[in-house]
Amino acid sequence: MSRLSALRSPWAALTAAAVLFIAFFPFFADDPYYQNMIILALVFAIGAVGLNIITGYAGYVSLGQGAFLGLGAYTAGILSTDIGGSPFVWVPVAGLLGALVAAFLGVVAMRARGHAFVILTIAFLFLVQLVATNWKELTNGTGGITLPLPTWSVDYQNWPFYYSLLGLLALSLLLSWWIRRSKFGMGLVAIREDEDKAATVGVNTRVYKMLAFVASAVFVSMAGAIYGYYLTFIDPAGMFNILLSVQIVLSLLLGGRATLWGPVLGAFIIEWLNEFTNNELGGGNTRLLIFGGLLALVVLFLPRGIIPSAQQLIEARRTRGKAGLVGERLDSAIELRERAAPAVADAGAHGAPLLEVKRLEKRFGGLRAVDEASFAVPEGSITALLGPNGSGKTTVFNLIDGTMTPDAGEVWFDGERIDRLPPWKRAHRGLGRTFQITRLFREMTVLENVVAPLRSFSFRQLTLGAVSGSEAARAEELLEFVGMRKFRDQPAWALSYGQQKLVELAQVLMLDPKLIMLDEPAGGINPTLIERIGETIRELNARGKTFLIVEHNMPFVLGLCRPVLVLARGKTIAQGSPDEIQRDPRVLDAYLGEDFRLEQPVGA
Amino acid sequence: MTEFIQTLVLGLLVGGVYALLASGLTLIFGVMNVINIAHGAFLILAAFLTYSIWTATGLDPLVVIFLTTPTMFVFGWLLYQTTVGRIRRAPVAASVLLTFGLALVLEGVMGTIWGNTSHSVRPSYVNQSFSIGDVFLPKAQVFGGAVALVVLAALYLFLTRSWVGRAIRASAVNPQGAELVGVKIGSVAALTFAIGVASAGAGGSIVSVLYPFLPGSHYQWIARLLGIIVLGGMGSLPGALVGALLLGVAEAMTVTYISPAWATAVPYVFVFVILLIRPQGLLGTRLRQDVATA
Repeated sequence: MSRLSALRSPWAALTAAAVLFIAFFPFFADDPYYQNMIILALVFAIGAVGLNIITGYAGYVSLGQGAFLGLGAYTAGILSTDIGGSPFVWVPVAGLLGALVAAFLGVVAMRARGHAFVILTIAFLFLVQLVATNWKELTNGTGGITLPLPTWSVDYQNWPFYYSLLGLLALSLLLSWWIRRSKFGMGLVAIREDEDKAATVGVNTRVYKMLAFVASAVFVSMAGAIYGYYLTFIDPAGMFNILLSVQIVLSLLLGGRATLWGPVLGAFIIEWLNEFTNNELGGGNTRLLIFGGLLALVVLFLPRGIIPSAQQLIEARRTRGKAGLVGERLDSAIELRERAAPAVADAGAHGAPLLEVKRLEKRFGGLRAVDEASFAVPEGSITALLGPNGSGKTTVFNLIDGTMTPDAGEVWFDGERIDRLPPWKRAHRGLGRTFQITRLFREMTVLENVVAPLRSFSFRQLTLGAVSGSEAARAEELLEFVGMRKFRDQPAWALSYGQQKLVELAQVLMLDPKLIMLDEPAGGINPTLIERIGETIRELNARGKTFLIVEHNMPFVLGLCRPVLVLARGKTIAQGSPDEIQRDPRVLDAYLGEDFRLEQPVGA
Repeated sequence: MTEFIQTLVLGLLVGGVYALLASGLTLIFGVMNVINIAHGAFLILAAFLTYSIWTATGLDPLVVIFLTTPTMFVFGWLLYQTTVGRIRRAPVAASVLLTFGLALVLEGVMGTIWGNTSHSVRPSYVNQSFSIGDVFLPKAQVFGGAVALVVLAALYLFLTRSWVGRAIRASAVNPQGAELVGVKIGSVAALTFAIGVASAGAGGSIVSVLYPFLPGSHYQWIARLLGIIVLGGMGSLPGALVGALLLGVAEAMTVTYISPAWATAVPYVFVFVILLIRPQGLLGTRLRQDVATA
């Protein structure tokens, strides 16, 4: 975000000029051609700003945004002709209906991922068009609906439409701006970057996605209603034309996803192009060629859009020749030892089980990746989970943290059965995990990554600022603890693999979990860093954190962990102290034994 | 009862044609993680090509398949090299938008060449039927369904029996693994895309006999095909077959027992229902995602 501040002043001046121009536009334009043009541009802009919430922030592409326009227009059309009444009633009603429909679609798409969501929105667009065509009793079919003419003096021309759309655009922008700086927006970006990961750090992805979809649909539905009144005639072919959706999507892509003003800029360009193709190039097939071609070209050659690309260009000039921080050494590990020496935990005396896994089972097709695995992790321990490649360790992790649901068996955590809870609820109860291959939110900074985890869910929380002062302070403390404070403003993608592991650890600690599950914390990083991670784990353990660690680095595990569990072919075959494990014939057999053969192929 | 059997058989025959069309779409998704929204436009393009060849030469449209299929194969390969291949590593959304753009361009091109009016290919047997007892089966439907199933069987044999086919399936299951054992993922993806487009070519020739078409018909077709692969499980070939037969029968039943106007809604309803109750589709599987590179 820091790169934005450098640009703030020229942007602010430009924005102010544009806003003034638009606010006073009616005073120097009475040509109906331009009136029509700017009204349509506003409609596109409202659609694109709304679309930005679900597509730009949350990363879910929707091709059904135009359907909400039509839905709003039809709501106003049907209600005002059947019941009468004022647009001031029916426009908000249209917004409400749009929100309800979006919520319903959100429920349908709840468990679906990106590709299924796109298909759903396409199906939605075609379905509402079909309903508008076929349900003649309600919509008059292809005959369309004629809306009542405006009741105001003709002297006002179309300007009441203009100003109400302008007001809606302002509201949409306000909503977009607020979302971007709230916890809600941060959660959406986390979902865009890595949805499964977001869920494991406590983001209630279902509610977030649903709310984002609703937020993206409200104002565009209202704009549709106003647009319907403006047109005075609506029919299925015009209102549910897929080109409308395409133009809204194009506005967003061209201007720049996940920016505040990008969709507005894009909308004005696209509407201009729209008029140009209709008037100068004859519309029809040429329109398809122009907009289809532009869509393809933008995806291929300007995927980030105008505003982000321009920012990147300016930023690249500004920082040319300056060295980055990324190659720097980590903060020295001595600092770590200098801090108050924690009391050494008594590795022998463990409390009651904090985590208990009972006869857990997971099948992939015919293959049993986890086959009646049972074990317990004593509170206050650093427990290791060992096993040959493909023995089901990571799957066990996924079942415990809720990334996957087990086919049978139970998971108990802190006295509560959790195996049917969604991942974020498990995170809220004090379960944190890291991944074998680090999964930070790439486009976020290190600090934002560490602040992203949520320890609870409430609707009030969504409205809080993305990074509050106390959170930032705590995050910095944690970053210092893992030695990564210097890197707080670096984007996560710029870090090395080992650095990412440390940041991911800090991220998990932000949850203040009771149990921390580490999937190969020492995998693929250098020996100094391994030592440092080991030390960090010991220190955290001394402060009361329980650990469950999957690791292949034997000296690391055997020096650190007790008890040690061994998994083979999805079953727990042994547990005990490191010494006992090293002598256990079943373990030796599983790792090295001559008569051990993989009877079935096992997923790594 | 006769009416029911007749509807069922017609539904299955049409379902066979759907299966051929959907298999290309699901194959492309499975191997490349690309949702090819232009698939409907490809098949309409093939239908127009068939129309032109048929009017010029009088060749039977089902014979014209031997021309449209290789033509569309080359077209798909070129399209992959110039556009689709560039976004192979981009998120699914990019491919949706790109292929959507391509579909619009194709629609515009077809409108310019053939005009935005309804066309149909009508060989001599188009009004004739086989009758088995009381059940009447239009010859066009029977021939179309049979040809579609033959092409589909050939595609299946190619994928399971040839080295290239196995490379394609390997790339679908595990791209990194396939690359490690010497499969050139880029070439396989290009080939897969071309094969997918070619199957739309074969399907388009059949469609030209069965339904009237115009450039804008591609929306309805892509919606139908997407419904099929969502129903069957995205990326699953057997799923595409099952989904296609189910949709064919469901549409036919809707036409007979409810109203032809609502038959178009069937695939959309399928999408809604399947995403609600079984998002991975009938024969789809949910794979472990944490080890795949994001």
